[in-house]
Amino acid sequence: MSDTKLKIRFYTIADFNEEEIWLREEHKKGWRLSKMVPPCFYHFEKCEPEDVIYRLDYKNNKENEDYMQMIKDFGWEYVGKCVGWLYFRKSASSVVNENDGEIFSDNASRSSMVEHIMKTRMMPIMAIFFCCVIPNALRAADDGVSAFFAVFWLVMLAIYIYLLVHCGLKLKKMKDNLE
Amino acid sequence: MDDKIRRIYVPMTETGFYILFCLQRPQHGYGIGQQVRQMTEGAVTISPGTMYGTLSKMEKDGLIRLVREEDKRKLYTITSLGREVLDIEIKRIERLYRNSQEKI
Repeated sequence: MSDTKLKIRFYTIADFNEEEIWLREEHKKGWRLSKMVPPCFYHFEKCEPEDVIYRLDYKNNKENEDYMQMIKDFGWEYVGKCVGWLYFRKSASSVVNENDGEIFSDNASRSSMVEHIMKTRMMPIMAIFFCCVIPNALRAADDGVSAFFAVFWLVMLAIYIYLLVHCGLKLKKMKDNLE
Repeated sequence: MDDKIRRIYVPMTETGFYILFCLQRPQHGYGIGQQVRQMTEGAVTISPGTMYGTLSKMEKDGLIRLVREEDKRKLYTITSLGREVLDIEIKRIERLYRNSQEKI
């Protein structure tokens, strides 16, 4: 049997909680995350099954040495990074109280991470949607260019509408619950 | 002290209070975390993302300042503005405590 495996999973910018749970389950089954490749490829290595907590922090590439050192001091192992997201893990056996297993211990800091995602990720998606996807989809539908382009822009339209609605609502709900 | 600082920091969160209280002597984030855990017998634990965010914000607002860097760890200490905020908070908490001891 192979010592590594590749899994394909789609998680949007609003699904980091689900992603953390999934990675923990994989580790429990003896697969530790080794590398992420955007947009949806997860590389795992075989390991001893263990209960390991995974946490994601969104820093949008603004993390510095000082921050990384502090996370390490608090017992977290840095796994890697993927489009602005940092992946950390810590053995559940070393956690003595709830906040030991968290990157954030108050709602204000959780909420500011969600706000950061909205500002730097939702805004660009919206801009692309209104300035690029909608005009192109309308044009493709209107002057009947090639069928390929019409289908392509229709699919893009559907993906963007899904992303905007799903992520927008979910992030907003998260933020409301934290305030 | 301007109104903006007063609005943000008075009253303070428990996390904020302990961080500022510990910075009466120079320390880095992990040191503060350890000290708070000890002082509260584990009842208050501050996670690293929250610690980092609070320190950055307090530094920006002038309540604490960077003393020096030691092995990639930033050491902070309280400023006179931070001292002012801390004194207001201590008085408020003392009053709270005194009143809580009285019979209604």
